[in-house]
Amino acid sequence: MKILRFGAVGLAAALTLTACSGGGDAGTGDATGGAQGAEIRVWLVGTDTPDEAREYLKSTFEEENPGSTLTIEEQSWTGLVDKLTTALSSSDSPDVVEVGNTQAATFTSAGYFAPLDDIAQDLGGDDLLPGFVKAGTWEDTFYAAPYYAGSRIVFYSEQVLGSTPVPTTLDEYVATATSLRTADRSGLWFPGQDWYNALPFVWENGGFIAEPGDDGTWEAGFSSPGGIAGLRQVQDLMTNASNAPKDGDEAELQVPFCAGQTTFLSAPNWIRWSIQAPADAETPGCADTFGADLHAFPLPGATAGETAKVFAGGSNVAVATRSANVDLAKKALTIMLSEEYQTILAENSMIPARISLASALPDDEFTQASAAAAANAELTPATPKWGDVEAQKVIQDALVQIAQGGDVETIAAELDATIESILNG
Amino acid sequence: MSLAPAGAAPTAVAPSPPPRTAAVVRRRPARRTAASVGWGVVAALLAAAFAFPVYWMVNTSLLPTNLISGPELHLWPDQLTLRNYDTAIFRQERSPFLPALGNSLQVTFLVLVASMVLAFFASLAVTRFRFRGRKAFVLSILVIQMVPGEAMMISVFQLVDSWRLLNTVIALGVVYLAGVLPFTIWTLRGFVNGVPVELEEAAMIDGCSRPRAFWKVTFPLLAPGLVATGVFAFLQAWNEFMMALIIMTRPESMTLPVWLRTFQQATKSTDWGALMAGSVLVAVPVVVFFLIVQGRMTGGLVSGAVKG
Amino acid sequence: MSSTTLPAAPPSAAPVPRATRAITPARLLPWLLLTPSLVVLVVVTGYPLVRMLWLSVHEYERAQLLGVPAPFVGLDNYVATLTDARFWAVTARSFAFMLVCVTLTITVGTLVALLLMRLGRVMRLVLSIGLLLAWAMPPLAAMLVWGWIFDTQYGVVNHLLTSLTGADWMGHSWLISPLSFFTVAALVIVWGAIPFVAFTLYAGFTQIPGEVLEAAQLDGASARQRFFGVQVPYVRTIYVVLIVLSMIWDLKVFTQIFVLQGIGGVKSQTSTLGVYIYEMGMAQGHYGAASAIAVIFTIIMLAISAYYVRATITEEQL
Repeated sequence: MKILRFGAVGLAAALTLTACSGGGDAGTGDATGGAQGAEIRVWLVGTDTPDEAREYLKSTFEEENPGSTLTIEEQSWTGLVDKLTTALSSSDSPDVVEVGNTQAATFTSAGYFAPLDDIAQDLGGDDLLPGFVKAGTWEDTFYAAPYYAGSRIVFYSEQVLGSTPVPTTLDEYVATATSLRTADRSGLWFPGQDWYNALPFVWENGGFIAEPGDDGTWEAGFSSPGGIAGLRQVQDLMTNASNAPKDGDEAELQVPFCAGQTTFLSAPNWIRWSIQAPADAETPGCADTFGADLHAFPLPGATAGETAKVFAGGSNVAVATRSANVDLAKKALTIMLSEEYQTILAENSMIPARISLASALPDDEFTQASAAAAANAELTPATPKWGDVEAQKVIQDALVQIAQGGDVETIAAELDATIESILNG
Repeated sequence: MSLAPAGAAPTAVAPSPPPRTAAVVRRRPARRTAASVGWGVVAALLAAAFAFPVYWMVNTSLLPTNLISGPELHLWPDQLTLRNYDTAIFRQERSPFLPALGNSLQVTFLVLVASMVLAFFASLAVTRFRFRGRKAFVLSILVIQMVPGEAMMISVFQLVDSWRLLNTVIALGVVYLAGVLPFTIWTLRGFVNGVPVELEEAAMIDGCSRPRAFWKVTFPLLAPGLVATGVFAFLQAWNEFMMALIIMTRPESMTLPVWLRTFQQATKSTDWGALMAGSVLVAVPVVVFFLIVQGRMTGGLVSGAVKG
Repeated sequence: MSSTTLPAAPPSAAPVPRATRAITPARLLPWLLLTPSLVVLVVVTGYPLVRMLWLSVHEYERAQLLGVPAPFVGLDNYVATLTDARFWAVTARSFAFMLVCVTLTITVGTLVALLLMRLGRVMRLVLSIGLLLAWAMPPLAAMLVWGWIFDTQYGVVNHLLTSLTGADWMGHSWLISPLSFFTVAALVIVWGAIPFVAFTLYAGFTQIPGEVLEAAQLDGASARQRFFGVQVPYVRTIYVVLIVLSMIWDLKVFTQIFVLQGIGGVKSQTSTLGVYIYEMGMAQGHYGAASAIAVIFTIIMLAISAYYVRATITEEQL
């Protein structure tokens, strides 16, 4: 459900996967036409989009389309798919909506979004993050544009880590985290439901979530040898390196960090701002203590010098089929993918949807780490039924059992059976 | 000790006629004091247990954020602050409190009044008249209550949408009304049965018309029943969350439960202080309402149930 | 529809001089009174109900919401549901949970009501206020508070257990094992349900004439005998209504489980029927399948409440 947002920088280009539709660069679309005096409603999810971007979108749109207004309505990630399903099918549909990248297929496959092929070039064409373009494409039609991306990095405070060297391989990372754990302090904060942080271990050991076979049926890979090895590492970390709640999720991560309850913390890079907030802020951080000497590194890969494959979080944006003003909505969408708008996102440490704007990302340690991590990012299986897997929290449920010391092979086999029955059902 | 094993109780307990013996002797045993002190202590503990979550909510809402998620337990607000309320009411720029309060008040008022009037009419119809279809109606309002509402949400949503009434208080009110009517009619029926029909007849002999007799005689006597059903309607309309979430999609048309849910962002840290302050704000009107009707409420529930 | 038969009508329908006016003939009056409720119920509940039956024999998914025609699938949804082990697990779980909750609610509710009878004015007021506060808490707010009380890291329960027992309870998760999850859920639900039951029974007990009980006491009946021999029979109808209502409500429980699952707990092991139907329909978009489950569920509900329904029919002289 929750999609990791914010991340880092650069090298976003390297978000693997195939590039999408080709074609040259056409000029920006016409500025006239479309209904006048209309109200365009844009649904943004969570508080991630910075205010500056919101204001830019509203003022630019209303300037370019005199008489029309644009309203941004903020939605919650909790229960987003349920609410989008009804709202987008209704007569009072919002016009432009943001969805998590792993949720996009649920809607593109069912006809909820208007095709964007005609404005694909205005939106950025080949300059768009290819993995996210793929997530927003269904049966060769482009429905949902990339919005921004991000990935997780590992935080630590120098005063806590001390002279212990920063791990350079995944095995070292596990060993270091385990050795640093005490009764009061985790080596690594790893709550039981944190599946985004569990996936890299599966991938790095050669496992996979699910892959389509030759006959189109999906085969899940948590019980493959690599999957089992990865989950064993996860179990090792959860039981021997972490004091985090076995059923906890990845909310409020700055709190245990600021309380000095962990050495390593794998989290989206935006959490840096939460950690470095003053202790008396509305959402208190620890700028003067553990946040004072905060550092971060990308999750190391199986061999030294490489980064691990991590989960590519982020969002897509699309125009609703039932929008009363599809043309105007497309104009709003074009603004959201414009250089100016995406630059604002980049300046706020979100990996922009346009690869060429990666240079606008701030040049700090955290962004660098994110960039390195993002270069090796993976996505969830590209099928509309993946949304059901997330909705049923099947991976989280399995991980919670693993965190409690359950038998990895049994749990992995059950997990695969459940995933296959959903994806092939 | 199982006084009432579920399901078995109604049949298992034989209605042996209460022994009505001779004259009544009033005695006040002197051993009361010790026992009553003991029961008083039990009652105090019980009251504390029931009220504790409410107390904890208020306590948390009055503490500064950094103390709430801290290693120390604060059993009372030793560092009192109203900042959480400030946050809940004024800092939620994107989902403001006051419009949500307004919507909730409107929809609740609508459902409260409409359900009492409609249920009063309908319960008169099924108790004071014999007509074809009466029994079918009574049976269906019983059966309706057993259907899980979650399965009908999508159809109700599409219905409201087909009327082009999404994001309107009136539509949400009608949906809630349909939700509470079966129960309110069912309950009020018992109360009307409890009002002797002879009273209406007497009024009619005095020259009242039938509807006027209902209004002048039966209606006032139904006060306890109306309070009981009103409480039910009030709680439903005030607390319902799921239909409100999908019908009221615009931020300005949110109701309070939906507003409260916006505090819990999946990826943002949960602001427990503000969340508890918000919970207090949602709960206060209900408590006030209960205190107003409290005296009439409990007695009313019974007479309906006894006759029902 | 308009035909009314009045042979068995209460005496009031007998000719009363000035009551019958041309505009509202007596036989139309019941229909006039019933119409507003009937319109609301037929449109807002009846139509979705019929549509639920229709959906249950069609393949109706997200795409169908946008107007794609829904293929007729006969009883496929029913067969799929009835052969799905998850459905039976959820059903069994829901019933077990309902039985526990209803038993606890009625038992403790009765005890609280009896306690209210024994108390003096002041303590009765104190206890009433405590009950009233619990009753008035909106379920969503109540669940959030309970979630906070049982919070793994900062919950007051873990704090208190640690300082009371000396053992380290910090970080103990109350929602992770299904048994513990349902213990917390039952606690919350019973906590919220007892006030209604206790107040209602208390009011019922107070209606029993004092002489009756005193007479029984004089006859040498023990408190226990008086309770089962006098008090329970007197309020028998209240018990029937309370038990039936509690069963319906606890079996249909949604908000509490749904919110608690959001706080913690393993979804696949803790879903009850209401949550399961919601997940199937609204969350995953299998509206046809969700409707079939709801139909089966309703039939089960009717079966277990058959006694009450039959009693009603008798009472209504059907």
